[in-house]
Parts: sequence; structure tokens; C-alpha cells
Amino acid sequence: MNNDRHIARAFDRDLEAVQALVLRMGGLVEAALSDAAAALEDRDDALALRVREGDTAIDALEEQVNSECARLIAIRAPAASDLRTVLSVMKIASSLERCGDYAKNLAKRSVVLGTMQPIPGAAGSIRRMARQVGLLLKNALDAYIARDIGLAEEVRQQDQDVDQMYSALFREFLTHMMEDPRNITACMHLHFIAKNIERVGDHATTIAEQVIYLATGSMPGEARPKGEAVISGDAG
Amino acid sequence: MMKDLRLESRLDTLTNKIEARKVQVYYGTNHALKDVDVNILDKTVTAFIGPSGCGKSTFLRCLNRMNDTIPACRVEGLLTMDGEDIYDPRVDPVQLRAKVGMVFQKPNPFPKSIYDNVAYGPKIHGLTRNKAELDEIVEKSIRKAALWNEVKDRLHAPGTGLSGGQQQRLCIARAIATSPEVLLMDEPCSALDPIATAQVEELIDELRAQFSVVIVTHSMQQAARVSQRTAFFHLGNLVEYGETGQIFTNPSDPRTESYITGRIG
Ligand SMILES: Nc1ncnc2c1ncn2[C@@H]1O[C@H](COP(=O)(O)OP(=O)(O)OP(=O)(O)O)[C@@H](O)[C@H]1O
Ligand SMILES: [Mg+2]
Repeated sequence: MNNDRHIARAFDRDLEAVQALVLRMGGLVEAALSDAAAALEDRDDALALRVREGDTAIDALEEQVNSECARLIAIRAPAASDLRTVLSVMKIASSLERCGDYAKNLAKRSVVLGTMQPIPGAAGSIRRMARQVGLLLKNALDAYIARDIGLAEEVRQQDQDVDQMYSALFREFLTHMMEDPRNITACMHLHFIAKNIERVGDHATTIAEQVIYLATGSMPGEARPKGEAVISGDAG
Repeated sequence: MMKDLRLESRLDTLTNKIEARKVQVYYGTNHALKDVDVNILDKTVTAFIGPSGCGKSTFLRCLNRMNDTIPACRVEGLLTMDGEDIYDPRVDPVQLRAKVGMVFQKPNPFPKSIYDNVAYGPKIHGLTRNKAELDEIVEKSIRKAALWNEVKDRLHAPGTGLSGGQQQRLCIARAIATSPEVLLMDEPCSALDPIATAQVEELIDELRAQFSVVIVTHSMQQAARVSQRTAFFHLGNLVEYGETGQIFTNPSDPRTESYITGRIG
């Protein structure tokens, strides 16, 4: 990475501004995820509603990032690490926007689940998983700010813990469904929630890979380790 | 290594047209080029970039022995074209320059008509048998240089009466009229408007099918657009040479990075 300043100082300001937008998005997504999981556990419909409404702000930020990047490309014709910065910013923003959608979906399902018989322990497990994934997302963005390859590599490794949490939850929900078919609707919702949180973890990995691309100029070569082979009957 | 799809589709050979080994150039006591090692590929556009005074024009002039005409200038090291020493005493510089054409940084039309500027080379090298053939070469060259529409009605007016950008294109027409094997272009577009620049870039891309083109440019965008190989010079050293896409997305030397991203470095 090149830390020298540009001769055209407005270029530095533009790059910093667009990166600040992405970090703001990151903050909103982390909060949405944790609020949605809290709404689920506490059966707090008002909080769930706020999460759903809050997603518009995340979408708007992504649009702003994209138009700022388009302008930067047109005006500055960035090269080398500047080009990689712009490309990675766009990719990270798109990942965060997806994560926002997953949090919103969680909030929606939490309202539906609120009308059903609770599945013992499920909401707590989901919340722990959301907390773990939220931490990955935070670490990925911290790695981005600091261009910290070591931390990015850690995120890539830790995503397999999330995959394992998902597999464990999947088995748990399956058991509940087999025990009592009346649990099927709730467990299907919970399963989609777990799957979506697992996908947020994948996006954290994508962001970590962008950090590595940004710092080194190439994508990490080796495929990230897979926690577990596909579980038989895995819906995902 | 990043792959250049243009290179893959158009290039079947990656043969060296020109090889430079440990080239040194001195102007009196000024050591202007230091230990330059580079292979200029055949049928490839190579861009030379670098800050003002780093030795780009100097190196370009080594390739067709234009430095011979500068008294204080001394060239050392080995320079070969198709494996033959360019500086061998038996090489006739005039013949060499017919094979290695040049467009200079400042347009320098001969004090002759537009037509004669372009016809001069083919005439002295006996490339045509009659007036009709010569007319054809002249027209084709001027068309390729994107100048035809502006001068077709005044081919016998003096070349020096053209605008700066038109003169530059006239010099390009003159340089390609002899069908050189290597074309050296020193900032050929610095006086051109965007349309003429695009036309010259299109011409460069066309020429690549037959020749090897070396272009010096201060426009990073232009270097990235037209070339398949890029060489970055800094303070008389060839700092980095490689595939153009690679240089512009992920250069390996911090000096290259600073230069192409417009940093103080
Ligand atoms: N004819 C000459 N006589 C003496 N010194 C020269 C001559 N031509 C170039 N030099 C010196 O050689 C060095 C390299 O000059 P050169 O013209 O090759 O630079 P350049 O990279 O082409 O720069 P620019 O981008 O400004 O055209 C400079 O220090 C310059 O002063
Ligand atoms: Mg020069």
C-alpha cells in the first residue's frame, strides 16, 4: 500500500470520503443485525420494525457509494492501488447491502415467529450466532481500515466456526420438526434465519478477501477452509 | 501475471525485435541512462513512461542511432535488432533509420510541400516505381495519420504552414510512409485534440499487426490504452518493465506506483 499523498489533494479527499461512506454502512449493518437478533429473542416487534425501516438508509448509502465511485473513475482515472481501492469499495458496499437485506429479512421473520409457540433455546442460539457473525463483519471492516492482512486472514479462518454453528442449528431444527410436526413452520423460519446469518458470514469473508486484494494486488489463492462437508439433507 | 486478452488474440510470437543490454548513455559527464536492460517485442506496442528528464527520449534515440548526431553523447552497452548489433560500424545509420522510423517530440516537417514531406522517404529508398504508386503511398500514409480530410485540397502547400497538431500528424504520415519495422514515437499526441489523439491511437493499434511500436507518453491513460508492455524510467534507470495491465493495476516497485497514481513518492 502506498501511504503517500496525491499531488492532487482533492483526490485523497474523494477516496477518503467514499471509504467513510462504506464504514458508515458497515456500522448500520452491524447494528441492524444485532437489533434484529435481539428483536427475535425478546419478541420485540417495535425493534423489528425499526430494523426493517432502517434498511432504506443502507440501500441509499450503497447507491451513494456507487455514484461516488463512478464519478471518481470518470474524473480521476485511478490506477494501481487507487484503482483497487475504488473496486474494493464498490464490492464491499455491495456485500454490506446484501447483509442489510438479510438483517431486514430476519426482522420480518421475527414478527411472524412472535405469533408462534417458541422453540426452546432457538432464539438464543440464533442471537449468539448473529453476535459471532457481527464480530466477523466488524473485524473484516477493521482489517479494511488498517489494511491488516493478518486480521483479514483470521476472519477467513473464523468463518468456518460460523459454518459449524449453522450446521449445528440445522440439525437442532430438524430434530424439533421430527419430534412435533406443529414445529415445522417455526423451524422453517428459524432455519432461513440461520442460513441468512451464515451468508452474512460469507460476506464478511468476501470483505476480508477484498482487504487482501487491496493490500497485495491479488486475491487470496487458496480456497478458504470449509468447516464441514455438506450435511446430508442440508437445504442450503 | 495478468493476461492481456488483446495480446492473446493478436500475437502469436513473443519474439524480441530489439534487445538492450547494459546500455549507458552519457552527455559529457552527465550519466543520463544507467544499465538499461530491456527487450522490445516484435508486433507489440511498448510504452515508455517516467518523469521529465528521466531519459525516455534519450533511450528512444539510441534505438535508431539519433544520438550519433549529438557530439557530446556517448552510448555504451549492447543494442541489437533481430540479433544484429545496431552500433556495428558496418551498419549504415541512414539504412537503419529507414527500418526504425521516428516521430519526434516536436513536429519537424521539412520545409517542403505536404506531399513531398511524405513522398521523401519512399523516394530516396526507391520504394515506388512510378508517380501513381507514390501518390498512393502518400495518400494512404496521410489517411492513416488521420490528416487526409484536412490537407487533401492543398497537398502542394508547405508543410510548415499547418497547425501544430496537423504538423505532428504529417510527421507521423512521413514516418509510416517507408513502412518501417520499428516505429518510435516521442509524445506523438501532446499537441493533438482528443479526436486526432483517438485516431492516432487507432493507427498505433493497426500498425502493431506489422511493426513494433515504441511510444513515449506523459499520459498514463494513453500508455494504458495503447500499449501491451510498459517500461517505467526514473532518474536514468529502467525501474520496472512488464505487461501493461499488470503495471497499471499492481506495479511491483513503489516508485512506479507513486508515479502512475500521481503521488509525491
Ligand atoms: N542533447 C542533449 N545534450 C545534453 N544533455 C541532454 C541532451 N538531451 C538530453 N539530455 C539530458 O539527458 C537527460 C535525459 O533527457 P531526455 O530528453 O532523455 O529526458 P525525457 O525523459 O525524454 O524527458 P521529457 O519527458 O521532458 O521529454 C536529461 O538530464 C537531459 O538534460
Ligand atoms: Mg523527451
